Amino acid sequence: MKVQVDEARCQGHTLCAMIAPHVFELDDVDGHSSPISADVPAGAEDKVREAAGSCPEQAISIS
Amino acid sequence: MSVDKASSVDDEDRKKNRYHFDRHTPEYREKFESITQDMHARCPIAWSDTYGGHWVAAGASEVFELARSSDKVSNDHDVKGERRGYQGIMIPPQPRAKGSRGGFLEMDPPEQRYYRQALNPYLSPAAINRWIPFIDEVVRACIDEKIESGSIDFVDDLANVVPAVFTLAMMGIPLKNWEIYNEPTHAAVYTPPNSPDIVRVGKLHQAMREDLARQLAEIKANPRPGLVDALARFEIDGEQPPDDELLGVLGLIIGGGFDTTTALTAHALEWLSQHPDERARLSRERDSLLDSATEEFLRFYTPAPGDGRTISQDCEMAGTEFKEGDRLWLSWAMANRDASVFPEPNTIDLARKGNRHYAFGIGIHRCIGSNVARTVFKRMLIQVLDRIPDYHCDPEGAVHYDTIGVIQGMRKLPADFTPGSPLGPGLDETLEVLQRSCDEQRLAEPVTSRKTEARIAR
Repeated sequence: MKVQVDEARCQGHTLCAMIAPHVFELDDVDGHSSPISADVPAGAEDKVREAAGSCPEQAISIS
Repeated sequence: MSVDKASSVDDEDRKKNRYHFDRHTPEYREKFESITQDMHARCPIAWSDTYGGHWVAAGASEVFELARSSDKVSNDHDVKGERRGYQGIMIPPQPRAKGSRGGFLEMDPPEQRYYRQALNPYLSPAAINRWIPFIDEVVRACIDEKIESGSIDFVDDLANVVPAVFTLAMMGIPLKNWEIYNEPTHAAVYTPPNSPDIVRVGKLHQAMREDLARQLAEIKANPRPGLVDALARFEIDGEQPPDDELLGVLGLIIGGGFDTTTALTAHALEWLSQHPDERARLSRERDSLLDSATEEFLRFYTPAPGDGRTISQDCEMAGTEFKEGDRLWLSWAMANRDASVFPEPNTIDLARKGNRHYAFGIGIHRCIGSNVARTVFKRMLIQVLDRIPDYHCDPEGAVHYDTIGVIQGMRKLPADFTPGSPLGPGLDETLEVLQRSCDEQRLAEPVTSRKTEARIAR
């Protein structure tokens, strides 16, 4: 599974990192999210799906 | 003539979904759920004749699309009539705000973005996490003030105090001044213009504005870290904005930082008192539930229920034809009850999944203090659950705001509990200690200059 955060859509709501803290990291300065790695670690798939569904800006895509 | 007639027919046609919407009436508060359901079913975007006429977006997908279209939907408040005369985010315009812009929430990009970039390093998750020991100490002192008595007013004695003290700390304003800011900020929201108390509240507000102006002047002359300093040094294209613009931003930080977090905390504590099993479960399973419960309280109680906007070009969005200059109300609160996104929207589910709520707004104006609100709320809630776990709110004593047009807030929330022992000094002494920590450790520096957590001596 691969995960992407659309930088132009993310507004730093931080829900993804609350739900999947080992997959998403937040920028220290503005709190915007990015995946730590584009490849989702084994076992984290459900949490990443949940994070994508919880993003208020719908900025997370999974492939 | 015929052109006018055609355009008025067009106007009737594009406004065919009509709904008499007046969010400033007590009736709107009482019938919020049925009005919301009705609008979702019949007209997720409606034209209302109230307040000079404006659109109301109530549906989740409609609010989502409009809030994310900042190229066509403006926040601008053109107080000096230099641009297109737009009225900012208040519907109707507030008399108190006449002639002053409400900070970057009443600006469009790029100006809005420059301000946020200057303030983000003080308000990001990493920036706020550094303050947790400070916040915990304020909460501790608030509870200690009351714990031996077995009774507390959660609004007056806790949920008003902590957000106020912490907001001033981040700003770089002396903590002992919190009472200058506290009452006017809340009372400005809940006191209607026809209240006999309005003159007194106006004077308190004036005193607060004077202190704010004094702090800005002082910090410009003798810098000390914090949000005020960030603004004192702020420039756009090499020019400093005038002081009234900076005071508008400081007013936004205070208005955003105080009453909203108070409202969220009071509502959540009231609900948990009414649902003691859920309270016990939340306390027991906090490691897995605290985050989701916080988001659910935010969704359900949406402290800031919406924002006004102005359409900045003729366009079609969300199936509706808009004309430049049309006013628009984006209802975060009603979008948060849309069953197409939130199953069983009128039920609080502490473990709710997929909770992509609108409580902090959507799009480029996402509440810049969202990380403050969440952190302060959670730290207050945890200590209440740990120290006065059996509290019971008195339903007779709870006072909700009469209307929820501006903030869905509470004025009083008295509660009783089994008394306990204080863990440290009271509030005044604690604020002195915390002030020294702020000064010595320069706690209000941005995260770009100071990464370490606050150390609180006691």
